Amino acid sequence: MRFAVYLPMILPLSALPVARLAVDHLHPRTATRLLTGVAAVLALCSTWCVALLVIVGSAQVPGNPLPDGWGDPGVRDAVPHVRLFGSLAMVVLSVVVTASAAMLLRDRRVRRRARAAIAALPDAGGLVVIPDERPYAYALPGREPRVVATTAMLACLTRDERRALIAHEHAHLAGRHHVFLTVSRLAAVSHPLLRPLRTAIAYTVERWADEDAAAAVGDRTVTARAVGKAALSAAKSGAPAASALPAFAARGPVPRRVAALLGPPPTSAWPAPASPTGFAAIVAAAGTTVSVCATANAAFALFVILKASTAL
Amino acid sequence: MTDSRQQGPRRGKGMLEAEVLALLWTSTTPRTAHWVQVELGGQLAYSTVVTILSRLYEKGSLSRVREGRAYAYLPVADEAGLAARRMCKVLDQESDRTAVLASFVSELSAEDEETLRLLLERIDGPAEAGHHEG
Repeated sequence: MRFAVYLPMILPLSALPVARLAVDHLHPRTATRLLTGVAAVLALCSTWCVALLVIVGSAQVPGNPLPDGWGDPGVRDAVPHVRLFGSLAMVVLSVVVTASAAMLLRDRRVRRRARAAIAALPDAGGLVVIPDERPYAYALPGREPRVVATTAMLACLTRDERRALIAHEHAHLAGRHHVFLTVSRLAAVSHPLLRPLRTAIAYTVERWADEDAAAAVGDRTVTARAVGKAALSAAKSGAPAASALPAFAARGPVPRRVAALLGPPPTSAWPAPASPTGFAAIVAAAGTTVSVCATANAAFALFVILKASTAL
Repeated sequence: MTDSRQQGPRRGKGMLEAEVLALLWTSTTPRTAHWVQVELGGQLAYSTVVTILSRLYEKGSLSRVREGRAYAYLPVADEAGLAARRMCKVLDQESDRTAVLASFVSELSAEDEETLRLLLERIDGPAEAGHHEG
């Protein structure tokens, strides 16, 4: 196994170029799927390797429930610097597990409370309107998915812009965008180097919904205006938005979304391998593949070593 | 340009219901099916609009009053008002509680606002974009 167990912890570096380039040069749907897949695999591999270090590192801790043979020098020699990194891995793993669980629980609580708030309201084609002077709108995923919009949000838009807003939120629900967001946030929790991917995915998911909305209303300019007006109106009133719910025009690089909608529509074509984006995607794919191989190698090697030492 | 409104995949019955409800919430007075038909751009048959309004009325989304020989419809506001207050509480509490949530709420920066205004002016002309400055 040797250094293979450490490799997946630095390989998230290989995904940073594509996280930077994909947002502007790939179709947002492609970018979302690619980045989320890469982030998920890299996060799983690095966490799995941290867990392997924990196993080897903790086998010598007094009172551990692992078989005695696992603490043998033969096992520990298989992992370089296990004294230092084994203890570190225990801290890292407990932080990752705790933070992930806390994030999932909080998400569930926000959704459940939001759902309870509108439970008594009849919907119209999935839309629920609530009278509020603060303009906001979001998609609430679940068994009965809902688009929630306030009267202030609807009032600041024209008829066609309202259609774009509703179509945008429906696109979040139909595309199950909350899954991509949750996966990317879990990945970012498990490895700090994956945070740029989370940021990128949060953006490409909005872009994806923007493009779907533009296709549904048949007008990119109307969609651009809806996003821009909604964001300005929300900024003016300091409207709230929740991270657990994909919101409409409530965050970050809204001007980029508007500018993208005013530009030419994105093509679904894959970029040429020689282009920067194509090359970055290949680098990320290679990094991810190496990460999987290294993890498998480390896991298998450790399995063999531990099996041998348990038999003794 | 082809009229994609008739062929858009999401413009099914559900989408129309949503649009009608959204439209009526922007009005302060009860509105007739004829008004709704005109406001939606006049592409829908009158009978379609009446059907949608009746469905929303039966679901409890709309209330209605007689206006001459037709009905005028208005969104049901009581329960919605309660829901709005509950939702406010959820969003306020949750964003106060954790830094993660608060940072995600990222409002527009001053430059963002300026850029957006410029972009909207490019679409609309200066007059309408100025309107948003309130």
